[in-house]
Amino acid sequence: MAKDFIDTSRRNDRLAEILIRIGGILVIVSVIWILVMISRVALPLFYPATARIAATLQVPATIISAKVMAIGAEENQQAVFILDESGTFHFLKAADGSVSASIKAPVIPKGAVRIASAEYVGKSAYNLLWDTGAITSVTVDLASTKDADGTISLAHDVTAQDDLAFPAIGSVVQSFVRPVEGKGAVRVDQLNGDHLRVTHQLVEKDLLGNEKRSTSSAEINDPLPGRLTAVAVDTKGHYLYAGTDKGWLLRWDISEPGQIRLLESLPASEESQAITSLALVLGDVSLAVGDAKGSLTTWFPIKVSGSGEDRRLTRIHTLRPNHGKVTAIIPSPRDKTLFSLDATEIHVDHMTSERNLMTIRPAAPPTNLALSPKGNTLAALDGIRTLTVWKLDIPHPEISFGTLFGKVWYEGYDRPEYAWQSSAANDDFEPKLSLVPLVFGTIKATIFAMLFAVPLALLGALYTSQFMSPRLKGRIKPIVEIMAAIPSVVIGFLAGLWLAPLIDKSVLTVFLSIIIVPLMLLITIFFWKRIKTASLLQRATRGHEFIAMIPVVIMGIYLAFLLSGLAEAQLFSGDVKQWFYSTLGVRYDQRNSIIIAIALGFAVIPIIFTIAEDAISNVPRNLTAASLALGASRWQTAWRVVLPSALPGVFSAVMIGFGRAIGETMIVLMATGNTPIMSWSLFNGLRSLSANIAVEIPEAPLNSSLYRTLFLSAVLLFIFTFVINTVAEALRQRFRKKYGRY
Amino acid sequence: MNKFWKTGEPYVLATGAALAIILVMSLTLVGVVMTNGLGYFWPRALVKLELKDGTSALGQVTQKEKNPISGIRRLQLKVGNRDVFGQDFRWIDEQDIASRSLPADAVLVERREHGNYFGFLKGVTAEGITLTGAAPQEQLQQALKQVADKRDDTRAIKKQMSNLNNTAEGLRLKLQKLEYRGKEKNSAEISELTAAREKVLAEFTLLNEKLTATQAEIGRITAQFTDAAGGSKDISLMDIIVLQHTNSMSFLDKCGAYLERVRELLLDDPRESNTEGGLFPAIFGTVMMVLLMSVFSLPFGVVAAIYLREYARDGLMTRMVRIAVNNLAGVPSIVYGVFGLGFFVYGIGGSIDSLFFPERLPTPTFGTGGILWSSLTLALLTVPVVIVATEESLASIPKGIREGSLALGATKFQTLTKILLPMATPGIMTGLILSMARAAGEVAPLMIVGVVKLAPTLPFDMNFPFFHMDRKFMHLGFHIYDVGFQSPNVEAAKPMVFVTTMLLLAIVVLASSTAIYLRNKMRSKYTTSTF
Repeated sequence: MAKDFIDTSRRNDRLAEILIRIGGILVIVSVIWILVMISRVALPLFYPATARIAATLQVPATIISAKVMAIGAEENQQAVFILDESGTFHFLKAADGSVSASIKAPVIPKGAVRIASAEYVGKSAYNLLWDTGAITSVTVDLASTKDADGTISLAHDVTAQDDLAFPAIGSVVQSFVRPVEGKGAVRVDQLNGDHLRVTHQLVEKDLLGNEKRSTSSAEINDPLPGRLTAVAVDTKGHYLYAGTDKGWLLRWDISEPGQIRLLESLPASEESQAITSLALVLGDVSLAVGDAKGSLTTWFPIKVSGSGEDRRLTRIHTLRPNHGKVTAIIPSPRDKTLFSLDATEIHVDHMTSERNLMTIRPAAPPTNLALSPKGNTLAALDGIRTLTVWKLDIPHPEISFGTLFGKVWYEGYDRPEYAWQSSAANDDFEPKLSLVPLVFGTIKATIFAMLFAVPLALLGALYTSQFMSPRLKGRIKPIVEIMAAIPSVVIGFLAGLWLAPLIDKSVLTVFLSIIIVPLMLLITIFFWKRIKTASLLQRATRGHEFIAMIPVVIMGIYLAFLLSGLAEAQLFSGDVKQWFYSTLGVRYDQRNSIIIAIALGFAVIPIIFTIAEDAISNVPRNLTAASLALGASRWQTAWRVVLPSALPGVFSAVMIGFGRAIGETMIVLMATGNTPIMSWSLFNGLRSLSANIAVEIPEAPLNSSLYRTLFLSAVLLFIFTFVINTVAEALRQRFRKKYGRY
Repeated sequence: MNKFWKTGEPYVLATGAALAIILVMSLTLVGVVMTNGLGYFWPRALVKLELKDGTSALGQVTQKEKNPISGIRRLQLKVGNRDVFGQDFRWIDEQDIASRSLPADAVLVERREHGNYFGFLKGVTAEGITLTGAAPQEQLQQALKQVADKRDDTRAIKKQMSNLNNTAEGLRLKLQKLEYRGKEKNSAEISELTAAREKVLAEFTLLNEKLTATQAEIGRITAQFTDAAGGSKDISLMDIIVLQHTNSMSFLDKCGAYLERVRELLLDDPRESNTEGGLFPAIFGTVMMVLLMSVFSLPFGVVAAIYLREYARDGLMTRMVRIAVNNLAGVPSIVYGVFGLGFFVYGIGGSIDSLFFPERLPTPTFGTGGILWSSLTLALLTVPVVIVATEESLASIPKGIREGSLALGATKFQTLTKILLPMATPGIMTGLILSMARAAGEVAPLMIVGVVKLAPTLPFDMNFPFFHMDRKFMHLGFHIYDVGFQSPNVEAAKPMVFVTTMLLLAIVVLASSTAIYLRNKMRSKYTTSTF
């Protein structure tokens, strides 16, 4: 039996050891796993864009003979189409280059033989300018579906859009047609000899449903600085842009039929390089300009000082230059990405982040370039009739280190700014994801809270450990420790709904308390000195002084409250907040940084207090005893002997409190207005990193830029607090070791 | 004088003042919560104010203050009758008041909707029931009693309906699964299930009709009231929850009413988007989440601590790991929430959905916040607390005890289970209680991984499999945030939030004082005085 028992015991022991080791290591690994996991979600923000060649096909000989006016591709890289000059759309399978269908444009104007130019206007629509000067508009539908057995079937169709058709007017170089919302359409023509003409074709419906068509046309006679080299019109048909060979940019307002107004004309660069390409970036605000030297810039109108309400085109972003003349700029239909083509390469850049996403170098110089309607596929046709199709993967083009942490010049802003605005009502809105205002808010909240908490907590800890009677100490310490357990949501609630309205009623009380409470203290000290002469009283009060201080503090605050009412009425004409606003220009928010300082400070006081008190109490008693025996007073002992020895521990207490304040979420969420502004004013709210996560993450779509940015801010919080805590902990352990031998 | 300053006595007083400020602040916090929370349920007198302009107002005085603009003393009256007056509160300048009285026949009616009604009882319209009393008050009491009986009937019907609904939902999910696997293959089973489901649904419709009829019948019994302004109001007895003649209640009556409100708070469901009624689902959700969390965090925390203290070799690695674990307690809770969302909810939850419930997609089952993910997230958050506490208590056991046990021939495992763990139990309990207190008060991570404003069902019920880990739940802390900061009528919701705050504070403070008491007791058991 004994042997069996020993064997069982040994076996159990070994088994337990293995299990415990596995369990222990598992827990520790899982802890490290946290950081790895959140980083893994945040990391794709910085992944580079990639373009993979999905297909290369030789255009069949039957199509080669005609001139190619436009090409197009479909989202899944399964099919492409080619529009030739006869107005025929040839649909090709990407896999083998075979023609699956050839469809003639559904409407061919009378007398027209071939297409002079074709303009892609987005959403799969093309405007075809015929040699007679007539214009028709078509929509090309091309989609592929993959069946269960792997075969790919194509669906294609070409439909006409009648309301955008214009009659023949003779030969023109280039034309633009834009629908005017609810009213008809506008056509802009570049005529031979550098003339521009704007024709509005308006349709009005009366109550009976009868249509009344009217056409008004105006020619632009403004003298042009140089020859026209590039023209662009925005999608609503409001503005006409032109560039010249001398490098000038011109902008006209064409929104009123028959009235064309030159808004401005200005040189695009000092070197007066010919402007070779113009395009409007998604959203119709920014204009992308490419010139003969290869530089690529974007412009939008901003308010210029001294010009009143007038807005002037200004160069905002300078993207990475191309190697030679920019022959085409294609804006992405999904975001503010630009594809620019020079003689040999296709550059992909994001406008706002000024990030060069990638450079695609086709085998031969491309002549035609096209993006699929959703921007997933890029197709290029080169001079030797090879069509290449790329699958694009541009995960988060608008995010770069610069946009997260630097000033960014967003569309519609008058200067580069740090901004956090993750969503808005309209579709072409660009999220502004700068972490700087949030980091600023976090730091502001933390600093104000620490200014409030550290003196109170450290002095309180010094008193508790050095001067308080041991019996009381055994009661007070647990009270403070229980304070540490008060849920932050409780503190936040009281701060937001009880303290904030209270302070709102009488802001001055806070400031006066800072003066009056110490003053009251001073007065008490003088009284104290008098009554201390009675030795019986002295013995009774020793170790209990703070109890006498409680009424002093309460009276001080009450006095401050009374005085503030008086001062407000006398000095600030009854309303101090109004006075702040009119005299100092400071706006007062009800939930402001004072509230945060008090509430967040209150939340970290117990942590700092407990750790600091432990550190001070851990200083060996024999040091204190020696000091006292040499005749030092209890204050001298505490201040000159105990505190210096305990300094590393005290410092680590402050740091741990700091770490806690940085990550605190609910208090900041509830006690501030959560406005991401950057101002050091005591009377403004703020938004911290942690509160921002709590506010935004429930709304953030999975794997969107916002979602990943929020994970990134969580990583930042994690690393920051982890580093602070580790340093503090290392200090504390060292301190323990130093005095451990006593 | 000089000596007094030199010895630094004034500075001692200054440090004492710092401590005094800390204590004053804590007491203020507790005091504010207690006064606002405890007083809310006490039946307050209904004051009738005759104003100088000839009108009158009836309500409870909630606040008195000086008007910040004009400096006139004024009082805030809770006039109730939200559906009639549009708002619950009204400010009245004291100089406008001609006289005040406490009418004995003033009634406070707590209603299912639109908050309280203050007014006077006029009569009862009883259809379908017989009332013997003569005075309207007696009639009303009788009618209320009968309505209460009928309401019990409707409750039984509702319960039946909910069961049927559950059965139907289960059948629907089964059908969905079969259809996902292939319609043709399981056509026989599908038609069988469809028939069964239709039968259940028909039964449900039948019951629903019965319920509507009963409710309509009760709904016809109404009481007529007039308010202070003279307007009259018909209130269906079904909508009346409590009816008090506040001004004529004796002290004992008031105590009874108070206790009744406390019972309602602890055991009933919330009403009026959480601003009235009880907190039962929130209390239940909090408790269940905390218990579930303990199931995860306790064993892992204890095993990790035993490994670190008893098995791992004491080197640089162990020391670093110890520091890391210590500091995890200081990592912001929101970071754990973000991790829980990315790893548990979308990662593991998403995988579970695509493996086991593909037929329900895109409606997520586990791939969305729920009580399981919340408890796991909080377990991760509180594991360091358990580890640190367990390690500390293991470390405080004198080495001699271990050596004694080993010397007597016990294996390491035997020493651990028979000697060390029993001795360390108070310490482990401390860690557990502290972690539970922290989990109960933590809100930020829960907001991300599964807490909701209003959960239609509890995460535990009598339907198989009893524990519904995928369900969302309510939580006291989130309740505070939500009602206090997201509700449309914050002023009216405030008292309720104070009550919730008091409850949460009481739970947390009670738990942590127990933990601290235990710890201090254990400390004094092992540590010996050094000087």
